[in-house]
Amino acid sequence: MSTNRSLKLTLKVWRQAGPGAPGHFETHELDGLSEHMSFLEMLDVLNEKLVLEGGDPVVFDHDCREGICGSCGVVINGRAHGPDAETATCQLHMRRFKSGETIFIEPWRSEGFPVVRDLMVDRSAFDRIISAGGYVSTNTGSAPDGNAVPIPREDAEQAFDAAACIGCGACVAACPNGAAMLFVSAKVGHLAHLPQGQAERESRVLAMVRAMDAEGFGNCTNHYECSAACPKGISVENIALLNRDYLRASLLERG
Amino acid sequence: MVTWLQTFVRSSVGKKACMAISGLLLVGFLVAHLAGNLTLFLPDDGAAFDAYAQKLHDLGPLLYVAEVGLLALFVVHIAFAAWTTIGNRKARTSRYAVQPDHGERTVASSTMPITGLIVLLFLIVHLIHFRLDERFEQGPFDLVEGTLAGPIAALIYIVGVLALTLHLTHAIGSALQTLGVNHPRWSPLLRRAGVGLALILGLGFLSIPIYALIAWGGSN
Ligand code: HEM
Ligand code: SF4
Ligand code: FES
Repeated sequence: MSTNRSLKLTLKVWRQAGPGAPGHFETHELDGLSEHMSFLEMLDVLNEKLVLEGGDPVVFDHDCREGICGSCGVVINGRAHGPDAETATCQLHMRRFKSGETIFIEPWRSEGFPVVRDLMVDRSAFDRIISAGGYVSTNTGSAPDGNAVPIPREDAEQAFDAAACIGCGACVAACPNGAAMLFVSAKVGHLAHLPQGQAERESRVLAMVRAMDAEGFGNCTNHYECSAACPKGISVENIALLNRDYLRASLLERG
Repeated sequence: MVTWLQTFVRSSVGKKACMAISGLLLVGFLVAHLAGNLTLFLPDDGAAFDAYAQKLHDLGPLLYVAEVGLLALFVVHIAFAAWTTIGNRKARTSRYAVQPDHGERTVASSTMPITGLIVLLFLIVHLIHFRLDERFEQGPFDLVEGTLAGPIAALIYIVGVLALTLHLTHAIGSALQTLGVNHPRWSPLLRRAGVGLALILGLGFLSIPIYALIAWGGSN
């Protein structure tokens, strides 16, 4: 039998009217919350209350609510996606909090991610980085035979681990330098471990780093906060691989 | 060639690589510098230390080449440190109300620009003491003794070396990662070796002003 503890919480929610507008914290009390709710369901409850009272609901991003799409994400008491390791905000449960607690809820803060409104940020910088080279330019045709291209198990594992990145941006939010290296390195690392990714390996890393720098993200100083915040546990080994590939590609690039 | 270099040093990864390479070469210099300095402790009233200083001076023009090279390493390291640090501040202008901490940041990693700046200030004092002072030529050991016997000077050296030690506990492992060295088996070992080397250098350099305070302190 599961018990159902009820929680009373004080929320300090970041409100911001639009990009570049000055923001502020708004305080809300919520009572009678179920500990089985997800964090986003708790925000739904807040928004219903706000709408009934005639106020503006808090804008936040979300979609799948099962930890796979990368849409959700807020900074909860100074931790991107909240206190649980390898857990996206939508998968975080309210039982993680104590009744009577005060919770600060803030958007991802980075020059690369301008606030759209309240807790929602514009992560299209990631899309532009992907467009610069996060793909393989081959005509794939119909599905190939399963083992037509042999891939060593270890390579497949590392490619898959890197491919688990859902593009949520928590790494940028957690980084004291607002750097996007973990995300970019996950995309570079994913394809660098596969035979299909080899043809464009050099041009990809050069183009993606150039696109990343153009978006105003910071420079990595190897704090490794990104990996600790990442809901998919992407390893900083990928960042070393990106560095290695970038150095080699820059040195050996022709012309 | 020129355009390639321009693109490289303007990229985030390129800037970090320049810092890492110059930083590691500076670590190499520190190892040699410490080895030379430790001759101060030989019980021969400074004869070995003076001989070591004399050998360096006898290099003549080669010494100038080495000094210019060393200066270049510092200039490159500091210039890229300033460039990346300013860029990083600009990348996070909006501050969190609750300072994010996911448990991986360390005191050393969070204070790199500050410890670097303290090292730079210390370096200036250090060069005024021993590189720009004419008396060094006549008797290196006597000048070291005369300078570090003053408790304030010794204290400046202690603070400078402590800042350097903190800087290096993060720097050496960080530089390897920046240059692409990361392996599940070797990296934890290398990171610890980096901290170990930082502590050896730190304790080695600290021993001199501390010895000075105890053995020579108050003698002038
Ligand atoms: C003997 C003196 C010094 C040595 C041996 C040294 C060594 C290093 C090394 C190896 C790194 C790591 C580079 C990387 O992670 O890629 C580093 C980083 C850094 N250094 Fe120095 N450094 C020295 C002096 C300075 C000075 C004088 C300053 C500034 C005025 C400075 C500022 C920085 C900064 C801001 C970083 C960046 C932090 C990071 O990337 O982790 N350093 N240093
Ligand atoms: S690396 Fe992790 S934290 Fe960064 S975008 Fe991908 S899943 Fe999110
Ligand atoms: S809503 Fe899709 S990952 Fe959280």
